[in-house]
Amino acid sequence: MEGIHHHTAALIRKLESIAPLAPEEKAALLRLPLRLKSVPAHQDIVSEGDRPCESCLVVNGLACRYILTEEGKRQILSFHISGDIPDLQSLHLTTMDHSLGTLVPCQLAFIRHEDLHALMRSHPRLGELFWRDTLIDAAVFRQWIVGLGRREAHSRIAHLLCELLVRLRAVELVEDHAFTLPITQGELADALGISAVHANRVLQDLRAENLITWRGDTLKVLDWQGLQRAGEFDPTYLHLVKKEAL
Amino acid sequence: MSLTLRPVRVGTGSDEEGMLVFDEEQRLVAVLTHLGENYDGASGHWYLEAGFGRLDGPDHPTYADLDAAREGISQRLAGGK
Repeated sequence: MEGIHHHTAALIRKLESIAPLAPEEKAALLRLPLRLKSVPAHQDIVSEGDRPCESCLVVNGLACRYILTEEGKRQILSFHISGDIPDLQSLHLTTMDHSLGTLVPCQLAFIRHEDLHALMRSHPRLGELFWRDTLIDAAVFRQWIVGLGRREAHSRIAHLLCELLVRLRAVELVEDHAFTLPITQGELADALGISAVHANRVLQDLRAENLITWRGDTLKVLDWQGLQRAGEFDPTYLHLVKKEAL
Repeated sequence: MSLTLRPVRVGTGSDEEGMLVFDEEQRLVAVLTHLGENYDGASGHWYLEAGFGRLDGPDHPTYADLDAAREGISQRLAGGK
């Protein structure tokens, strides 16, 4: 199934949150041929060791990068939302050094590497924009490293929830400080380097402090300033130009 | 390996009922806590709250009961996973 414009809208929304786009750049993005695919929850999109010839745009759903240890323990490296191209790096790093999988059923749009290369040749500024996006990706990793190495679990979870809220708000997926967070406490624990029991206790603490509620798949931030303080969260590292997301 | 358990209260802020776990030479090797309600699928299980020596590290398993905890901890002390 070839490209349908509204799927590219997710990518445009994301890119416009980190830099302005000219009309001709948007038009070029909308002309990108897409191969659409629905992938069920908990499946690999690309696996460590693969050599993909296309990259994947998350149209909707939630995906994560992860690495499994030899014992089969999973470290989730990042979460990916609508508008992200989590394996954009395969454009230049040919062999996947980690896996990318779905956490919930996802609508994905695959873009051939040759089409991405052609797009960046014809619109060098878009190439710079994708570069900027991967630099922000690295900035997010820096914050996660600080969290894993130096923040208490309470602060680590609060920081991640703040990060998700701001990223989701930048692509217009937050309403009244509430967003869909369809992950388990085990998945949260795998991202934060703690046990599911510990994650559970910290979430109970955050609820008891009236910072959040988490019912079903809906996470609602009750006290945005308080949650940011708890997570020592400063959104500068997300480098958003869309100030209403902050 | 024969382990000795001794009841203790643990100041986790939530799950207070715990066990100190000693090895054959009466060295403290672990602290277990009994998980209360609110843990999907793990309520009532015993959680490796803290481990020392070979039991130290990021892995904090839960065990269905104290026999399973003895078994799991013995294996890990013996060098298994």
